[in-house]
Amino acid sequence: MKYKIFVAAAIFFLLLTNLSIVYSQEIENSKSKIQIHDPWIRPAAQGSNTALFFVVENKSDKPDTIYSAKSSLSEVVEIHEMFKKGDMMGMRQVEFVVVLPNSKVEFKPRDIHVMLIKTKKDLKIGDEGEAVLLFKNAGAIKVKAEIRDMPKMNGMKH
Amino acid sequence: MKKLIFTLSLIFVVYSCGGKFDTIEDLSDEKYNLVDQNNSRINFPGIVKGKMAVVGYIFTNCPDICPLTTNNMRLIQERLKEEKINNIEFVSISFDPLVDKPGVLRKFAEIRNLDLSNWTFLTGEKNVIDSLLKKVQVFAVPGDSTVFQSGEKIIYYVHTDRIQIMDTDGKIRKNYPGSSINIDEIVEDIKSLAD
Ligand SMILES: [Cu+2]
Repeated sequence: MKYKIFVAAAIFFLLLTNLSIVYSQEIENSKSKIQIHDPWIRPAAQGSNTALFFVVENKSDKPDTIYSAKSSLSEVVEIHEMFKKGDMMGMRQVEFVVVLPNSKVEFKPRDIHVMLIKTKKDLKIGDEGEAVLLFKNAGAIKVKAEIRDMPKMNGMKH
Repeated sequence: MKKLIFTLSLIFVVYSCGGKFDTIEDLSDEKYNLVDQNNSRINFPGIVKGKMAVVGYIFTNCPDICPLTTNNMRLIQERLKEEKINNIEFVSISFDPLVDKPGVLRKFAEIRNLDLSNWTFLTGEKNVIDSLLKKVQVFAVPGDSTVFQSGEKIIYYVHTDRIQIMDTDGKIRKNYPGSSINIDEIVEDIKSLAD
């Protein structure tokens, strides 16, 4: 009896690891096809809010979706978009951002950002901060972002 | 005929220049009792009396628009310094005075390494701030918020995106979109108003 349970468990375990290998390979494939360029975070005093900006490039032939983000830099992390109402500006949360096949989406000022709400420490200019972006297909992608006042000049489009 | 065209176009240029800097609001008789980032009592616009001022409106919980406005003011300050244009003051006024206490404003400036030698951050009692905002036509209405388990709540405002030029007499002469202001344009305007 014990033996049977052991065999069943072993088969189950093997299946599981096999499955997860296949699954993680798939993730690896989509992961290498999602690239994050020029990530940066605005400086923020401890206990305040800031935003993470970057460019996502999807080099695969399937769309992917950023549905969440995580970071130990702040207590809450959300995806937000800005909106204009006359000469007033506001902000609201969005559930996800789709990145179409072979295209780029720019998380940029006055547009969309990953918001870091209630920062746990001072984020000083020149320092680096980490966050993880969660994609539906590509899984979790880590980004290391420089703390700076504005995007690098070559990243700016006029 | 050429002379006529010349005269007409001259009149047009003079006229349109005058129109460009019409007084939007006159604050010369106003006296708003506020506090600066060091908790010193300040009266606005008294603090910048006799100087032209670049005035911006912010709340520190803002992650995008207000940092952009602040950074744009820093870029204007740097440009004026480069061009050796002195006597211009910078003022950032909070429209969220219940959150933006002097210490919060000081940290907001410090973390950005701002040069506060000619730049003052202002906050104060809510009713005073509100009457100032009404006068300068800057609006801020509560929008989305984040509520923490502790019950703490952060309110994000839908607000006028604004930088203004106030002349040496305390008159608001031009409005700009704070987060997307054209730096060249305001620097040129400051030069023409200074003449
Ligand atoms: Cu946000």
